[in-house]
Amino acid sequence: MDKKTALPKIKKENLLKKYKHTSRIALLIMLTVFQLVSFFQVAVDKTDKINYEILFIMGGYILIEWLYFFVFSVFLKRKSFELETIAFLLTGIGLTIVASVNPADLLKQFIAVVLGLFTFIAMTFYMGSIKRIEVMRMPLGFCAVGILSLNLILAKAINGARNWISLGGISIQPSELVKIAFIFVGASTLAKLQSARSLTKFIVFFLFCVGALFLMYDFGTALIFFATFLIIAFMRSGDIRTLLIICGAALVGAGLILMFKPYVANRFATYRHVWELADAGGYQQTRVLIYSVSGGLFGVGIGNGKLRNIFASTTDLVFGVVCEEWGIILGFAIIVMFALLTVYAIRSAGATRSTFYSIASCAAAGMMLFQVCLNVFGITDLLPLTGVTLPFISQGGTSMICSWGLLAFIKSADNSTYPEIEREGKRI
Amino acid sequence: MKSTAKRACALYILVGLFFVGAVTLFIMLCVNSSKWAMQRTNEHIYTNGTLVTAGAVLDRNSKVLVETKNGERIYNQSSAIRKATLHILGDTSGFISTGVQNVYSDELVGYSFLNGVYLLEKYQGGNNVKLTIDADVCATALNVLGSNKGAVCAYNYKTGEIICMVSAPTYDPQSVPKDIMTNTEKYEGVYLNRVFSGVFTPGSTFKIVTAISAIENISNINQQKFNCNGKTTIGDGTVICNGTHGELSFKDALAHSCNCAFSEIAVQLGNEKLQTTANQLGFNKALKMNKTVVAKSTFNVSSASTLDLGWAGIGQYTTLVNPYHMMTILGAIANGGTYVKPYLVDGIETQLGIDIPTIKTKDGDNYMSENTANTIKDMLRYNVTSYYGDSKFPNLQMCGKTGTAELDNEKSHAWFVGFSENENCPYAIVVCVQNGGSGYDVAIPVANKVMQSIYKSVSKE
Repeated sequence: MDKKTALPKIKKENLLKKYKHTSRIALLIMLTVFQLVSFFQVAVDKTDKINYEILFIMGGYILIEWLYFFVFSVFLKRKSFELETIAFLLTGIGLTIVASVNPADLLKQFIAVVLGLFTFIAMTFYMGSIKRIEVMRMPLGFCAVGILSLNLILAKAINGARNWISLGGISIQPSELVKIAFIFVGASTLAKLQSARSLTKFIVFFLFCVGALFLMYDFGTALIFFATFLIIAFMRSGDIRTLLIICGAALVGAGLILMFKPYVANRFATYRHVWELADAGGYQQTRVLIYSVSGGLFGVGIGNGKLRNIFASTTDLVFGVVCEEWGIILGFAIIVMFALLTVYAIRSAGATRSTFYSIASCAAAGMMLFQVCLNVFGITDLLPLTGVTLPFISQGGTSMICSWGLLAFIKSADNSTYPEIEREGKRI
Repeated sequence: MKSTAKRACALYILVGLFFVGAVTLFIMLCVNSSKWAMQRTNEHIYTNGTLVTAGAVLDRNSKVLVETKNGERIYNQSSAIRKATLHILGDTSGFISTGVQNVYSDELVGYSFLNGVYLLEKYQGGNNVKLTIDADVCATALNVLGSNKGAVCAYNYKTGEIICMVSAPTYDPQSVPKDIMTNTEKYEGVYLNRVFSGVFTPGSTFKIVTAISAIENISNINQQKFNCNGKTTIGDGTVICNGTHGELSFKDALAHSCNCAFSEIAVQLGNEKLQTTANQLGFNKALKMNKTVVAKSTFNVSSASTLDLGWAGIGQYTTLVNPYHMMTILGAIANGGTYVKPYLVDGIETQLGIDIPTIKTKDGDNYMSENTANTIKDMLRYNVTSYYGDSKFPNLQMCGKTGTAELDNEKSHAWFVGFSENENCPYAIVVCVQNGGSGYDVAIPVANKVMQSIYKSVSKE
């Protein structure tokens, strides 16, 4: 089946090409101008004093962007850069906010961005060959199990959810790294002819991950894994009934948990009651709403916000900071960009060389979009608050690496990522 | 492969749901924007819950009543004006919820969904709000109230401008008394604007309502004669009068405020008709002045005995009246049956000097027919000419009615409600002096001094 479908659909490819390959240099220049304007607002304070550290790091970031575009378009003949442009834009906004709110953490965040970009490039290369994917499936699965077990053993309670471990002064969030492994394992297991055994293994793996996350009280990430599991299962089987059975089982499970562990429900007690509990459980949500509308459509300007002083402003609440300081319009532009990443993944799914790519890319895009939902709608009280990060923008190293890692799945599903394979395909 | 591509399209459902959520969020932010931005925890606007940076509030003569200077909220220099206008302006913490600084906080701050608080931070001030009141008239009103508690309110019944509104007890917002929370006797209900939020037993001022009902329902009311010998038997009890009036016409009964006559009229009307008139005149209904919800006047005789009905007809029983509402009734009588809605905000000017349109002169409810209004107007005028005396209100051609609302174990409330027929001074006034004693002795002088002050103020313009 894989061999047969490895032939690209040339007609569709051309259509996609026309749609995708907008002028990359224009995109890059627009991106750079936007970033220069926002970076300078942070690097130069109100008394016209220049913070050189911020200036150098931000300059370094722009340089990396140009270098990436240059190397990949001139030497590696890649033609489409839409995904990277969106990711660079979002990452840049996140960097600016870190520089402005927690300047001391900027270098750390910058290193995380570099690691993220490196992960993205490496994963994209690695996934160029379907054979290599098969090799990595089991080791990655075991790594994920190991790291989650380690987390459970070592975890200290930080901020309510025990989903952090501290290694040599650096705290990492294993569940973020496991997200990449989860998609990798899920998509490659099911990409093979579906044998009952490989499927069972994946389900066991899934249950282990979700169980571990529940033990860490990280319900947000557990939900994200569940949604991704549904996407992977559907992409492979196309069977709505199976999905309904899975959902039903999950509901029963959730009900049982609430029955035997009522304190879990307490975590969601503030939902839709944030204004009554404005100085208790609804503190963060009400502040996000108050300060988002304070910014108006165009924002009060970078550095002039008040939400920045609230706990977790650069991580969970970062969307509120964007709305307040950069404007509600930009906040919603970010929302649209995440949707565009998903649309991109859906549109590439028809022409991939193997079902692994389409499943992995849809699962990654769906996972990211679902996480954006939980974050943005959670802090604004449209959904219960679960404390997940906003991909690319929230401060945090593992989250940044994971975001770029997920992007690599979407990137590798787009055939134009691998010009040499594309050419070969055409020759056939 | 094809099937995978098709299945991928199922992800559009997630994208769709995501967009529904995003649109919902946007609408939510848009609809609630000023409500949320004006939360007292918003540090762009409030410091420790008190309003600091906002525009100025001016009176009708552009006198600054409160403004922000050097990061502080400063009230007028005169302590008399500060005390007299406190309840109109409200305090900076929002204890006086009907105050302009609370009700118009988003206008004062200049908040808009488009710009957020950007302009406020840029100009260190919001929009200026100009009021219809005259601060000097208010100061006079508070002065003549003396140490009494009570409410005074006056408005132009043709245009709706409120020129005077005073509530006592009050305090100086620039130096808040230390015993304000502990001296409960002196500062009882100090955070209430009694004009908007107070309700009081109306006493004889309610006879206006009974009279209106009689005019509309009893065809021969002007031919009827009432006999008063100091008390009268109603149902299974007795209603005592304030005097022995002898034989009285309807008109004279109102002028002498005869309890015997009016309790008999109430019984003639019956529970249903009197209730209908009261409801029609805005009782048992929450009025709104622009964004301010006014306390409801209550009148309910649906299950009252004959004796209680008699008492209700002369403004005793369980009836409670809000001063602002009473003023609208007088406004309606002066204005041919329909009152012009009172308003307080004359204009709003943005930081950039642009005027924001505000709702000004606008008709309120129709309370009665023009005929009824004219008949009762003549009777109220007759009260003054024949009984109180025009000398009590020089130059004003006043129409009105006093009230002395009797209370259990407390001194009576002294009321005067009325309006001037002088074309140069078309103002209606309500005075309620809590536990002040007689309406004739206490409320009339207060009303006169305030009306004279208004007359002086408007003839200058």
